[in-house]
Amino acid sequence: MVKFFQHTFKYEYNWDSVTLAFWLRYPNPFTSHVESVDVIDRYVDPNTGVLRTTRLILKRGVLPKWGKGLMKTPEAYIIEESMVNPKTQTMITLTKNITHARVMQVEEWQTYRVDSNNHEFTQVKTEARIISNLGWGLTDRLEGFGIKKLADSTAKSRKGMSHVLEMIREKQLLRGRGFLTST
Amino acid sequence: MSQSIGAQCNDLKKEYDTCFNKWYSEKFLKGDLRPECEELFEKYRACVLNAVKQKQIDKLLVEARKDDPFTSTSGK
Repeated sequence: MVKFFQHTFKYEYNWDSVTLAFWLRYPNPFTSHVESVDVIDRYVDPNTGVLRTTRLILKRGVLPKWGKGLMKTPEAYIIEESMVNPKTQTMITLTKNITHARVMQVEEWQTYRVDSNNHEFTQVKTEARIISNLGWGLTDRLEGFGIKKLADSTAKSRKGMSHVLEMIREKQLLRGRGFLTST
Repeated sequence: MSQSIGAQCNDLKKEYDTCFNKWYSEKFLKGDLRPECEELFEKYRACVLNAVKQKQIDKLLVEARKDDPFTSTSGK
């Protein structure tokens, strides 16, 4: 069984800042369940000039109480693939869980582009797909939970990004006024 | 800054992340695609891959990365 989720959001920050915030978004006060973030692979494709990155993210406490029996460990490993094209100013990311995939597989795509109406703003499109193969009536419940959780986590990650973006802006302002000389 | 999966990799991660963030905002986004921070990355990466192996998720990782998501679903 499969369920879909789609969402579009606009950040009132330019594309450069938003894509930098993507790398800096953990830790932030809205995602305390993120335990670790590591870069597994990263290179610039010499043919396209696109930056490709693979990160491994460890999260704690990903299921509600009634779902705990489904998993031996309450932690989840997430893989995040991304590509950044500075020429077309496009960033595409894919995150999916690699543990507990038998219980529920969540795939989330995000596309970051310069907002067509205001070039100082950034448009983010989120598309997600949830698949689960459990029987016993659990599938519906889990997928329903997955959709709710996705909507929640999308809202949370937006807040987290905004928090990081505000920090970036402050830092840039300070540096612009000569208060800071290095990063 | 976020933590590494391996506590022993935290210092290497911090050094690498700092280098990358600077390169990303000051070079890459401005059109200078020449890589930097590679030596730091290799050291940090070796440490992380070791931690991944110890936690026995190395096989899962390989399995999850078998297909290139951006070429198999081009246009997404």
